[in-house]
Amino acid sequence: MSNFQIVSASKHGQTRVVTAQDSSYGDSLMYVPTFPLEFRDIQSCYPIFFLKEVELGQFFAAALCGFEPGENLFLNNGNWDASYLPMMIRRQPFLIARQAVDPKSADETLPVISIDMDHPRVSDKEGERLFSEEGKPSDFLQEAIQLLKKIHRAHQHNENFTKTLLQYDLLESLTLDITFNNGSKKSLTDFYTINETKLYELEGQALAHLNKEGYLQPIFMAIASFSRLRALIDRKNTP
Amino acid sequence: MNDPINRVVVVGGGTAGWLTAGIIAAEHCISKSTNHRPFELTLIESPDISTIGVGEGTWPSMRSTLQKMGISETDLLTNCDASFKQGTFFKDWATGDGDTYAHPFTAPYRYADTNLAPHWRARAERPSYSESVCPQPQLCSKRLAPKQITTPEYAFNVNYGYHLDATNLAAFLKRHCIDVLGVKHIQATVTEINSADNGDIESISTDRAGTIAGGLFIDCTGSKSLLLGKHFGIALQDKSQILFNNSALATQVPYPTDDAPIESCTLSTAQDAGWIWDIGLPSRRGVGHVYSSGHTSEEQASDALIKYVESITTASKSKQVSLRKLTFEPGHREKFWHRNCVAIGMSAGFIEPLEASALVLVELSASMIAEQLPATRSVMDLVAGRFNKRFLFRWERIIEFLKLHYVLNKKTALPYWADNLAPSSVPDSLKESLSLWRHISPWHYDSHHVDDLFPSASFQYVLYGMGFETTSSHTKRKTEEDAANLAATLFKENIAKAAQLMSALPTNRELINKINTFGLQKI
Repeated sequence: MSNFQIVSASKHGQTRVVTAQDSSYGDSLMYVPTFPLEFRDIQSCYPIFFLKEVELGQFFAAALCGFEPGENLFLNNGNWDASYLPMMIRRQPFLIARQAVDPKSADETLPVISIDMDHPRVSDKEGERLFSEEGKPSDFLQEAIQLLKKIHRAHQHNENFTKTLLQYDLLESLTLDITFNNGSKKSLTDFYTINETKLYELEGQALAHLNKEGYLQPIFMAIASFSRLRALIDRKNTP
Repeated sequence: MNDPINRVVVVGGGTAGWLTAGIIAAEHCISKSTNHRPFELTLIESPDISTIGVGEGTWPSMRSTLQKMGISETDLLTNCDASFKQGTFFKDWATGDGDTYAHPFTAPYRYADTNLAPHWRARAERPSYSESVCPQPQLCSKRLAPKQITTPEYAFNVNYGYHLDATNLAAFLKRHCIDVLGVKHIQATVTEINSADNGDIESISTDRAGTIAGGLFIDCTGSKSLLLGKHFGIALQDKSQILFNNSALATQVPYPTDDAPIESCTLSTAQDAGWIWDIGLPSRRGVGHVYSSGHTSEEQASDALIKYVESITTASKSKQVSLRKLTFEPGHREKFWHRNCVAIGMSAGFIEPLEASALVLVELSASMIAEQLPATRSVMDLVAGRFNKRFLFRWERIIEFLKLHYVLNKKTALPYWADNLAPSSVPDSLKESLSLWRHISPWHYDSHHVDDLFPSASFQYVLYGMGFETTSSHTKRKTEEDAANLAATLFKENIAKAAQLMSALPTNRELINKINTFGLQKI
């Protein structure tokens, strides 16, 4: 369960956050949601696929880390063995919440930073402090705030990104059939990827539109990321 | 006689007219944006004549029909007040003391290679036939949807058609036909039908759009059958000696609350001299009593309907409903395509809405016309001959299948139900099939034709739902033991499948609410 509190010096003066990566910190993830704004970095380490959010049926992009639920092949003795860590992993245990400007009315809200006090990273003994002894926000907290702002922008950008992909029929469903060295087989369904045939049929106006919105680069990054699949399979083959 | 057909004129703008225009346009890639028009497709609609607006249930075939026309399913659901139909649930048809059975859209499990009916019969303790072989009845009892929000448009977890507002559907199809498919729309009332020297229809005169000539005329003028019936005098074949119902009282019933569950099936409840349909749309229910005026009075029929309405909504809401009366002659034209005129929809025929065969006949008729559209007048008579043969067969089979629902009843104290058992009212071919099915259950040998409307699976659902007994032969068959083992496994698998679907699927209400906000994805 989550227990989100709005971050304040008075409440969280002694709170610390562990920055190591481990399954005990909830990092055993088969995939991590990602955003076109970080596709360039993501594709250097992870295959990017599109999935449908279960509750609302909307598409989101994800960096693949394993081949079954709970399997993260990048985790290695307290380390996340990759040169780039997805934003959605780095943001933990923080989240942007909305707070009413006037407590009596919910009409106008401001984004505020909140922390999940039940998150296994939250500690009062080890890890990075949120506030200095004097009650000033630490560099760690400042960075977290910058990151959350970036995620907020990335989120908005992403919504239009998938909408535009659908508008040009640029997504197609894909089933991944993988055979590992030990003979075991895995079939991953419900995955979607960029439809390259459709992409290469696009003409001037459509391409200009994609480029202007900043979508052309992430589209090609997603295509390039496909070659990371081989590396991920290799991680599974060499335990 | 060798004139190419370069103009097709649809006369009448109800659901039948617009569906026909849309199916023909889609098949021939007629499109407004590309301006592709291999021939001109015109629809004449009278602004003075309102459409009948019933026929709120479709078959699963409607999904591919609409998809081919390039319609977004999300748009259909939100514009036509549509929900998902997984079959029909019958109540009080056999004995009238609360008996029920389901006729789901999904065939029995592994139907293609295994006939589970004899194995079901052999089981000592058993749930109903449909429940034993299909997960759908259980899903329907919980008012679950046939798919999830992540399921793409027109795809499914279990097979489905639609319940929808027929008036909205006609308006929705009309917009799509005009705006996207580029069907030429003429708003005028037909005043005269003009013959050519050879006896064909040469043109149609209208009150405000002049005279419209054409190579092929499609009569979608409803029960008036202006072209085929009135102009050409093709007679209606009366089928009231088989199917007695010729009247209906229809109404719309509000839900007791806005979040009331939406049924997954058409509910069909037998009455003393007919039956009541109950179709759940997102915003209301469509309810009606279809009955035989030879067996009951309008007053009695109305009382029975009001009593039913009171049982499904609050007392104050049930007082608000108003009834609309419809009468019809059950039957169909002696032929449907004559010279250069073909009738689709009620102009071709109409029988009671049991099993919702009206719209599917429109779909099938329009598809055949679209696919076989004669290029020239000289080959049209050949296409017409094939069309007539095929659709006479289809009507015969529909009438037989509908009659099957009546011939197994045990309500001999009620004249309507007793009369339905009279051998003179039962088509000979149905009598023969029933004799045969006493000894062997229907399966693949009972499907006469590739495009038989009702597959043998449907016959199974109705027969065993109504308590029909097939006494299996006692001669030992070579494959008997293996088959029994396989059947036992399949029954178990069906239970597991139902449980899995029950936990995964949302209710109709939940899914419709989500679709209204987020829509379904195309892929």
